[in-house]
Amino acid sequence: MNLALRDVRRHLARFVGTAGGLGLLLSVVIAMQGIYAGMVDDATILTRAMQADLWIVARDTRGPFAESSRLDPSVEARAASVPGVLRARPYTYQLIQREHRGAVMRIALVGLGWPDDPGRSVPLVRGRWLQQPHGEMIVDASLGLGIGESLVLAGEPYRVVGLTKNALTSGGDSVAFMSVADAQLVALDQPSEATVLERQRVVGRLSRTDLGRGQPGLEDLVMDPRWRSPALASPPVAAVLVEVAPPRLAAVQEIMRSWGDVSVYTQGEEESLLLGGVVARARMQIGLFTVILTVTAAVIVMMVIYNLTLEKTHDLAVLKLMGAPRSRLLGLVLQQSWLLGALGYAVAFGLGALVFPHFPRRVLITESISLVAPLATLAIVTMASVLGLSHVMRIDPSRALEG
Amino acid sequence: MEDAVRAVDLSKTYGTGAAAVKALDHVSLTIARGTVAALLGPSGSGKSTLIKALGFVSPADTGEVFFEGKLVVKDGRPLADLASLRRRHLGFVFQKANLTSFLTARENVEIACEFGEKRDGKRRARDLLGYLDVAAREDSYPETLSGGEQQRVAIARALANEPSLILADEPTAALDSVRSRVVMELFRKVAHDRGAAVLVVTHDHRALDIFDVLYAMEDGSIRPYAPGAVTSAVRPDAHALEGASPRVGPQ
Repeated sequence: MNLALRDVRRHLARFVGTAGGLGLLLSVVIAMQGIYAGMVDDATILTRAMQADLWIVARDTRGPFAESSRLDPSVEARAASVPGVLRARPYTYQLIQREHRGAVMRIALVGLGWPDDPGRSVPLVRGRWLQQPHGEMIVDASLGLGIGESLVLAGEPYRVVGLTKNALTSGGDSVAFMSVADAQLVALDQPSEATVLERQRVVGRLSRTDLGRGQPGLEDLVMDPRWRSPALASPPVAAVLVEVAPPRLAAVQEIMRSWGDVSVYTQGEEESLLLGGVVARARMQIGLFTVILTVTAAVIVMMVIYNLTLEKTHDLAVLKLMGAPRSRLLGLVLQQSWLLGALGYAVAFGLGALVFPHFPRRVLITESISLVAPLATLAIVTMASVLGLSHVMRIDPSRALEG
Repeated sequence: MEDAVRAVDLSKTYGTGAAAVKALDHVSLTIARGTVAALLGPSGSGKSTLIKALGFVSPADTGEVFFEGKLVVKDGRPLADLASLRRRHLGFVFQKANLTSFLTARENVEIACEFGEKRDGKRRARDLLGYLDVAAREDSYPETLSGGEQQRVAIARALANEPSLILADEPTAALDSVRSRVVMELFRKVAHDRGAAVLVVTHDHRALDIFDVLYAMEDGSIRPYAPGAVTSAVRPDAHALEGASPRVGPQ
């Protein structure tokens, strides 16, 4: 006869209620772990999706995600010329915030090196990769845009041609992929008034120089909307992504590190920069929060199990007096703890499946979380039963004779 | 009849120095199988201490306890697995029924069968509940049973392991006189039908005629008891029970 199950059957409502409460607590612990895993995945998904062996960024910066990096676009050709480099492509990254259909939309714009990179590394759930260098984009489904829908950026419509999933930044912003040229257009977009004022300033400066005074036609040229000063550099890129023949990686990296204007990171180093810089504080915070919640859950389970045992003191004393083997009585407490843990975990799991997809931040239940969470629950409830077990050990059977 | 339990020169003292209380003072006692013995005495006379010592729950400081002829406790030291002895050979009935609250009437008896390593516990539990006339309430929880029904289930539980010795500590204290007598008669029936030795601690003088042997305790000492007599010995009819004669005092 299983005494633990008999006791649960007798006090079913209270036991289920306790398991439900424990389940809520466990679901919060699992959610915290899932949010952290999601944050790490979000932080590294962009670097992994780019499938680059080396990231070249501006000298002494930890760009392009941890801080801004402005790199001369000529670095792309320089990198491509290094022996062992298979491919080099530009990369831009910037955060923008726009209103669309009355809602505020934060977008991380990633520029892909067209035509080498039309987004093949981006896992699509619907649609296709970029087929044109201008006016197309692939967006994360969390933006709520559909295939064929257009978003006006820098005064021009950009059509959604592909949808991806879970392409988010470490801050939880959705990512949109377009060609580098388009991303730069959006980044450098100015209101027309600002453009007119800028051109007027150039005309003003010209009029104060001999060149301007000697060639009045220059003023007309400057005011022409199609004009662009040849002295102006091409817009910078955030990084240059390099693919290298595997045996040459170290040599290529060595050469590039000798360049005075860039810093070079491997894929792993780029991910470490992200995790160490952008996510580290959040990781510590979530880690501490998880520890506190875990301890809280353990203490609550401990008190619940202890109280359940305490209430049965007289029953247990009678059973002891009857000569019940110690293992049966300890088993009663342990089995109830385990049952409570199993029910609590089931509640947490079910609740998570229902609720986590609706969280504003991605809750990623990784394989390790799926494996560790039930084992941790088992460990918590087992440790939590220690008080109850020690109480059982201390019960004097003669208490049963005291009425 | 063979002895179920024999206590020799048991002494136990609670506290030390001036506060010391002698709960058992050189108590010797033998209860044979098939005998129903009553233990009377005022509160604090040492009855419960004696029950605990005979039930292998809390041994006396000095003295010996033999169970079915075998020495099992000597000067407070157990010489056998006392918990095992309790679950296989002893039955307890308390002032309150003390049934396990989360088990039904049948399960309360069945669990005692399990502890006593008796086969077919469910059937045996049903038989015992039938024997004690509470079979109809087998699926009821203790709190829904009347006091009398609870005590019957408690007796069934005490019989579950076919005990050689049943110790009952004021089992009728919570019952009216009619039900008290019924319970006492049940003990007599159990002792005579099943050959168990039964020691009942009681204050109820109305049912003393049921017992084969009467003892009285006062200030830790035991002596034979006869109604109306301060120091009279054992009832004549008790002596007449062959092999069940009480041997009071040092052996």
